[in-house]
Amino acid sequence: MVLSTIQAKLRSSNAYRRVADQFRYRRQDVSAVVPEIPMLPQLYISPFFILFAVFLLFPTVYTLYLSFFNYLGASNEILLTARIGILEITIPQIADLEFVGLSNYQRLLFEDSLFHQSLFNTSFIFFIQVPLMVGLGLATALVLDAKFIRAKGLFRTIIALPVATGLVAYSTIFLLLFNGDIGLINYTLERIGIGTISWLGDAWWARITLVIAVTWRWLGYNMIILLSGLQTVPEQLYEAAEVDGATQWQKFRFVTLPQLRPVLLFVVVSSTIGTFQIFAEPYVITGGGPSNATITIVQYIYRQAFIQLNLGYASAVSVALVVLVSVMSIIQLRYGGAE
Amino acid sequence: MRQQTKQEALWRFGGYIFLLTITALMIIPIYWMIVAATIPQSEFFSWPPRLIPGLHYFENFQALQENVDFVRSIGNSLVIAVSYTVLSLILCSMAGFAFAKYEFRFKEPLFYFILATLVLPIQLLIIPLFLLMTQVGWTNSYIAVILPWAANPLGIFLMRQNMKAIPDALLESARMDGATEFQLYYKIALPTMIPSLAALAIILFLNQWQAFLYPLVILQEEAMFTIPIALAQLVGQQRVYFDQIMVATSLGIIPIFLMFIFLQQYFIKGILSGSVKQ
Repeated sequence: MVLSTIQAKLRSSNAYRRVADQFRYRRQDVSAVVPEIPMLPQLYISPFFILFAVFLLFPTVYTLYLSFFNYLGASNEILLTARIGILEITIPQIADLEFVGLSNYQRLLFEDSLFHQSLFNTSFIFFIQVPLMVGLGLATALVLDAKFIRAKGLFRTIIALPVATGLVAYSTIFLLLFNGDIGLINYTLERIGIGTISWLGDAWWARITLVIAVTWRWLGYNMIILLSGLQTVPEQLYEAAEVDGATQWQKFRFVTLPQLRPVLLFVVVSSTIGTFQIFAEPYVITGGGPSNATITIVQYIYRQAFIQLNLGYASAVSVALVVLVSVMSIIQLRYGGAE
Repeated sequence: MRQQTKQEALWRFGGYIFLLTITALMIIPIYWMIVAATIPQSEFFSWPPRLIPGLHYFENFQALQENVDFVRSIGNSLVIAVSYTVLSLILCSMAGFAFAKYEFRFKEPLFYFILATLVLPIQLLIIPLFLLMTQVGWTNSYIAVILPWAANPLGIFLMRQNMKAIPDALLESARMDGATEFQLYYKIALPTMIPSLAALAIILFLNQWQAFLYPLVILQEEAMFTIPIALAQLVGQQRVYFDQIMVATSLGIIPIFLMFIFLQQYFIKGILSGSVKQ
C-alpha cells in the first residue's frame, strides 16, 4: 500500500532526482543501509560470485598455472579438432605437462620476435585507434548534444548502426570494401584520380585498414556513452559561464571537459582494453598479413594455442597481455584522476 | 547582435556538415551490404562494382539456407542471447544492489577484484573452459554458452554505480513501512533502475549475439550453431560466399536494430548516469 505510493513517487523522475540531489552530498557521511537479516548481502552476491569463481576465476588461475608448463603433445589424445571456414581449432587433452618454470616468459620477453611483432602491431593500432575514436566520438557527441541540431534520433541511430553488425559480417564487408581489385574504396579513389592503393598488400596500409574498420564499428558505441555523459552536465554551469562571458571554447574547456572526465576515462579505458583484444578483424580482413604485419597479440595467442598446440606458451602470452593491459589501465586511471 | 547570429549559423552549418559526413561514412558499408545481398554471386567480381541493389535477395537466402541451416541458427542465437541477458541482468543487479547499498566484510576488495577481471581477454579463458565443459559433458549445449559469461564484471560495475544513486532514506522508509529485504530489491531498486537495466540489457545482448570464438569452440554440431558461427562457415579458404554472408548479416542486424530503437531512450539516460555523478 505504502510501497505503491513510494513507487508512484519514484516514477515521476523529477521527484526522484530531487531526493537524490538532496542526499548526494550527505551520502558519504551516512553509512550504508544495515540489513535486518545477517549475511543478506552475501546472499545477494553469491549467485554472481559462484559463477564468477567457477567460470572466470578458475580458468584464469588455470591459465596462470599452465604458463609454467610445456605441453608434451605426443602421447596425448586430441579432444577436439574443428575447422570452420578459415578457422582451425585443435584442443588436446592436457595430461602430459613438463614443468619449465619461467622459461615460457623468458622466451616471450627475449627470444620470440613474432610476439614482439604482434606487440608492435597491436600498439600501433592502439596509439592511432584510441585517440582517433575517442576524439571523433567526442566531436560527434558534442554536435549531437547541441541545441540547434534537428533529427538527433535519426543521426544517433545511424551512427550507432555499425555496432549491430557482427564481427564476421563486418569484417567481411571490409574485406570486400578494401579489396585491391574489386573494392569500392579503390574504385572511388581511381575515379577521383588518386589512384589505387594496395590496402591489404602493404604493411602500413593494412594496419590503417584495421584502424578504419575498428573505428567504423565502435564509434557509435563510444558516442552514445559520451552523449549520455554530456546530458548529465548541469545546464546551470553553462549558464553561469555565459554570464561570465565565456566563449564556446572556454565553455568546452572549463565546463564540459571537467564534467565529462569520468565518462571520458571510462571510454578511454574500455577502448584500450578492447583494442588490445582485437582478434576477428585481422583474422578475417588481413589474415594477419602481409607477412605478419597485422598479427595481433590475441591472434598470436590463438595461433599458439589452437593451431600449434603450445598451450603452455599460449598461456604465458595471455598472462603477459593481461599484465600489459592492467598496467595501462592503471596508468590511465591514475593520470585521468579516477577515484 | 548580428555578429552573434552569424556565428551561430556558422556553427549550425558546420555541425550539419560534420554529422552528414559521419553518417554517410557509417551508412556506405551497410548500403553496400544490402547491394551485395541482393545481387547474384557471379556479379560480385565485376568492375566497376555494382552500386544498385538487385532482386536476388530470396535466391541468395535460399542458397544460404541450403549451405547452413540459417533459420535454425537464428533460433539458437535468440534462445542463447535472451536467456543469457535475463540471467545476467538478475545476477548483476542483485550483486550490484548488495555492493551499492549494504555494508559487509571485504566489500571493497571483492568489488575491485571483480572489476580487475575486465582486462582478461576471453581468449585466455577458452582452453580451461573447454576442458571444464568436456569434463561436465556440457559441450554442444546452450547452457555451456550461457553460464560462463553470465557473471559479467561490466554489468556489476554499471549496476553498482547506478544503484548508488538510490537514496538510503528511501530504503529505510520502505523498510519501516514493512517492506521485506527482498522487496527493497525488486520493488524499489529494480523499478528505479529500468533505464540502467535497459542499457545493460543492450550491452549484454549485443555481446552474446556477436560472441564468436567461445561458441565456436563449444558448439560443434551444426544444429547448435549461432549466427556468427554459421557465418564463419561461409568464409572458406578457397571461396567466400559474400552474397550469402551479406544476406545473413542483414538478417542478424534486425534484432539488435529493433532493440536499439525500442530501448534507445532508456539507453541514453541509463548508461553510466550513476557513475557520472561520482
